[in-house]
Amino acid sequence: MKNLQNPSRDHATILIVESDAVQFESFSQIALNEKWLLVVCQDGLEAIQWLNDNSSADLLIIEEDASPISGYQIADYIKTELGLALPVIITTGEIPLQQERRMLAYAEAVIKKPFSESAVVFQIRKTLEKAVEVSPAQNDHYSLNYLIDLSGNDKQFIAETLELFSSSINLELQNLKQVLEQKDYLRIREIAHGIKPSFDMLENEKGKGICHVLNTEAKEIEMPYLIDQLNSVYNNINNQLIKDFPELNLK
Amino acid sequence: MKKILVIEDNPMVIKSLEFKLTKDGNNVVIAQDGREAMKQLKENEFDLILTDLMLPFVTGNELISYIKKNTPNTPIIVLSTSTQESIIMDAFNMGVDDFITKPFSPNELSLRVKRLLSKN
Repeated sequence: MKNLQNPSRDHATILIVESDAVQFESFSQIALNEKWLLVVCQDGLEAIQWLNDNSSADLLIIEEDASPISGYQIADYIKTELGLALPVIITTGEIPLQQERRMLAYAEAVIKKPFSESAVVFQIRKTLEKAVEVSPAQNDHYSLNYLIDLSGNDKQFIAETLELFSSSINLELQNLKQVLEQKDYLRIREIAHGIKPSFDMLENEKGKGICHVLNTEAKEIEMPYLIDQLNSVYNNINNQLIKDFPELNLK
Repeated sequence: MKKILVIEDNPMVIKSLEFKLTKDGNNVVIAQDGREAMKQLKENEFDLILTDLMLPFVTGNELISYIKKNTPNTPIIVLSTSTQESIIMDAFNMGVDDFITKPFSPNELSLRVKRLLSKN
């Protein structure tokens, strides 16, 4: 996968597809304040054309209702077909949680309109920072809330459950790789179904969303990319756990 | 002490169920696939069964049919990640007593288990 990322979030180049004049004006003002270069594209196809011609963007912000191809489909195309590691933020109105999770299989974030300027700045900064692998200011890879609630903050239970996450998901990801090579797509769906609760229990929406898409609606051609993404999500969680719980000897 | 058979293959869910149900004062037996579950059901009697629907070797539906045929009075709670109405309705049509989605709410699990155990 080609990596387009700029090592600095200052002067980042952001492609934008936004038909709503008010929202676009808001993005323009934010970009001006933050010293980001905004490249305006009329639609997703123009964004793809721009990427093919220039290959130096740091982020794509695209509306879900982009015509003729939706933001979600463009994000899917950029990552699956073009093989670009370009972060994507999809802007949308109110949508069901399930649809948002599906979008998060291909996009790094979803921004719902109407949005506040500070929320957008935060989301864009966060996405750019994650893209250049700067250590996140806060841990957004996992949460222990569910395990704490379940166990009454039983430290031993939590530690053992985290060890189980680390070892069992690692094993299942290896299995996924193997069955993908065998083109056993039914088994891929079954494994994704089986491990979805593990990501859910650590409140990782992206991992949960990818598992859901793999289990229910992913096309065979999309599976290699989705499995690759799931590996990344797992590695992010596991690396954060290793950092936060050195006493557990996680690998 | 009530004896509960948990049929589940996700290790984190197993650990959570075992922790919660044991803490609530139950004796928990784990079966990680359909075959193991059938073996347990042949050798032991249970006050309640908690089962996933997607299991290795034997499908959840096959297992529910087996339980209903052999121990019709044992209450069954289905644990599933699915929220699809058709799957939930199919499970109830097969005679299960309750349906809980994963990951389960700890308090909800306790209440539903207690309710079914007290009925028996």
